[in-house]
Amino acid sequence: MKLLKILVPSLLVALLWSCNKEVEKSPALPALEPLRLDEIAGSWTPVILSNNYSLQVPLAAPAATTSDAYKAELTTIKNAQAGLTKQQRDVIAYWSVGAVIRWNQIMRELVARYNLPPAPREDGTYVFPDAENPFADPAFPFANPPYAARAYAYVSIAQYDALKAAWYYKYLYNRAAPYMVDASVQSLVPRTSLPAYPSEDAVLSGVTAEMLKILFPASVEQITRLAADQRNAALWSGKAAPSDISAGLALGKSVASVITAPGSRFRTDGMGNAVGNAALWKELQDSVGFGDFYKSAQMPWLSLESPPRPPMLPNFGKVLTWNISPAQLVAERPAPPPSTSSEKMKQELAEVKKYADNATREELRITHKWADGAGTYAPPGHWNHIAEESVVNARFSEVRAARAYALLNMALHNAGVGCWEAKYYYFNPRPSQLDPSIKTKTGLPNFPSYTSGHSTFSASASVVLGYLFPDRAQFFTSEAKEASMSRLYGAIHYRSDIEVGYSHGVLLAAYTVNFAQSDGAGN
Amino acid sequence: MKSFYTAACMLLFFYTHAQTIQDGLMMPKGDLCTGFLFTHDRWTNYWEGTLKRENGNIGTITTNSLTWLGNYGITDKINFIAMLPYVSTRASQGVLSGMQGLQDLTLAVKYNALEKSLGRGTFRGFVVGSYATPVSDYSFDFLPLSIGLGTQRVSGRVTLNYSWPNGWYVNGTTAYTWRSNVTLDRPSYYSDGQNFLTNEVWMPNVMDFSFMAGRIKNGLELILAYHQQNTLGGGDIRRQDMPFVSNRMNFSRVEATGMYYLPMIKNLAVRAQTGYTLAGRNVGQSFYVTAGVLYTFHFSKKL
Repeated sequence: MKLLKILVPSLLVALLWSCNKEVEKSPALPALEPLRLDEIAGSWTPVILSNNYSLQVPLAAPAATTSDAYKAELTTIKNAQAGLTKQQRDVIAYWSVGAVIRWNQIMRELVARYNLPPAPREDGTYVFPDAENPFADPAFPFANPPYAARAYAYVSIAQYDALKAAWYYKYLYNRAAPYMVDASVQSLVPRTSLPAYPSEDAVLSGVTAEMLKILFPASVEQITRLAADQRNAALWSGKAAPSDISAGLALGKSVASVITAPGSRFRTDGMGNAVGNAALWKELQDSVGFGDFYKSAQMPWLSLESPPRPPMLPNFGKVLTWNISPAQLVAERPAPPPSTSSEKMKQELAEVKKYADNATREELRITHKWADGAGTYAPPGHWNHIAEESVVNARFSEVRAARAYALLNMALHNAGVGCWEAKYYYFNPRPSQLDPSIKTKTGLPNFPSYTSGHSTFSASASVVLGYLFPDRAQFFTSEAKEASMSRLYGAIHYRSDIEVGYSHGVLLAAYTVNFAQSDGAGN
Repeated sequence: MKSFYTAACMLLFFYTHAQTIQDGLMMPKGDLCTGFLFTHDRWTNYWEGTLKRENGNIGTITTNSLTWLGNYGITDKINFIAMLPYVSTRASQGVLSGMQGLQDLTLAVKYNALEKSLGRGTFRGFVVGSYATPVSDYSFDFLPLSIGLGTQRVSGRVTLNYSWPNGWYVNGTTAYTWRSNVTLDRPSYYSDGQNFLTNEVWMPNVMDFSFMAGRIKNGLELILAYHQQNTLGGGDIRRQDMPFVSNRMNFSRVEATGMYYLPMIKNLAVRAQTGYTLAGRNVGQSFYVTAGVLYTFHFSKKL
């Protein structure tokens, strides 16, 4: 009895305490009620498509809302709405936040899932992921920061171009949404007067799923299911009729097939050669990078992993950029780092050592906040995450939200390429290579030190976001500076990697801001 | 009286088990047993999910800890137990920095709820309620080098003990531990197939049980124990990923303990223990040794 007297109350207390432990996967976001419909988005400058949509991605006119066929579609919607389950309502609520935002979150999840380096084999060698065998070990892809930057950019651009084409047809055909046509169709999401043909949800589901299936083929099941959910939500919510959806799906898919066609930019931008080969890795070592800059006085970068791992994507610096020509990219390359044998380098190394030995808890917090290493959505994903709040608060139309992410991710991709170009041009060693007593507070990336990827990515992202959301420009800048410094606090970068990388990122982002200023969308 | 050991093993050394909490013995009223124990724990192999492997980027992970403990007899039937370890970690290979600091304070109340003669010996039952909380702001997001998991725990334990007059005894104990969620320094993390856009991490609860057999005779105590712990949820370490705070950390382990009351110095005992992990999931296959001294004060003893 005594035992019960103690056990029962203590169990009750503990149970109560454990009740509210559930963690939501993402914060609660409001249903999208766009402030503007962006009626003229069909005339904004496309990124990849030509602006002659009716030639490149044709879409036939819809049936009139007075036709029998359309009336039958309305009945389908009403029947579906009459029997909605809790689960179906949850699907509607999930997508009502805005499909551009949802797909951006999903893409970040896919990057985090595949951002893992191949494990070494028994014999100490590494096998590279194989796109033709994506479910193997190692899984395809290894969604490291460069891979992720390019993937975020291509998907965001494809969505943006597809939505501009959708807007073009919406205002060409002007067919209203079912809930506008028939008062007995409920609107289970906030009502707008945006024409429904083709359904923007179906366009997004089609273009995004096709792109993601190429970039993350082993997650085909999840991608396909989510895309279908999105189309169902559009129908159940009274926003789109079946013919709006089938037209949108077809349009989305055809935009994806234009973008990923054989011989397209997507297929020939140099990503296929980014990994390099054993001969290239040796040559980089022997001649201290592509730049052959110091030759005799300079120590080449070495992998500090065990067993040594080939450098990450040495040819990524040759991949095509957005809004910047290859010649411009080379012209913007940062000046050389301090030589490994210089006094300046000794001083910088001593500063890294100081942080390695004496970082404060606050500096450690900053290091871990911005770690964004293996198994995470990577630095470009972190900046997409940061952008989310601003995009939500701005209540952008879907097409304008897609523009924001496209601009951000073009700049992030450019930052990645520009930074990688410098890294492999100079092939500079990490602090722990020059001083093995330097222990790091975060994972040491397996590529050369100069310049810092975090600094370049963050500076570029903060400039573009500051352009899109001037009220928060100061916040973005301070976040970018903190992200940059986190790499010094973590003892994996010298100060010059950070400062030069940051300036480089600012310069590269100006090209994307220039593009944004003249694309017809206003700020 | 007995004391405890720190189960200082990789991902799991965070459950600082007190044998005082698990065993079937009590301090008499007014007595305080206190002392320090040093534990050296190391592992090279670990389980990445269920795959056993080693990793050249960390080599061998060594965890040293110095733990203070105290066990006070409030009455003959109720003991108050406290302990606090200082923990230090390092990796023998690679560039990752070790960490160190004060870890978690554990406070426990142990109640001897049942005691009766049965056959030739005595049957006893105990219940223990304990609470543990980090006492320093250490980072738990740098596994396997973090010094702890940063979670607060409330634990309920039941122990059954049977002892014979010749000093032999057997002991069985089980506990359920509720763990509070933890907050990372980063705004997002991937766990168990999903990317979370929050810094809050759900921490699964933990269940453990042990069986031990021992003998106390002439100031010498020897114990053999089997211990198993299961985390009730949580994801696996992915292929070539780092461990994560909410991983499903399971293990089974054998332990041997010896304790000796020095005949020449009254009230002073020395204690040594060793343990080895037999099987696990998302933990290191650790081997550890513990050594320490414990002193008993008889505050209320009538002189």
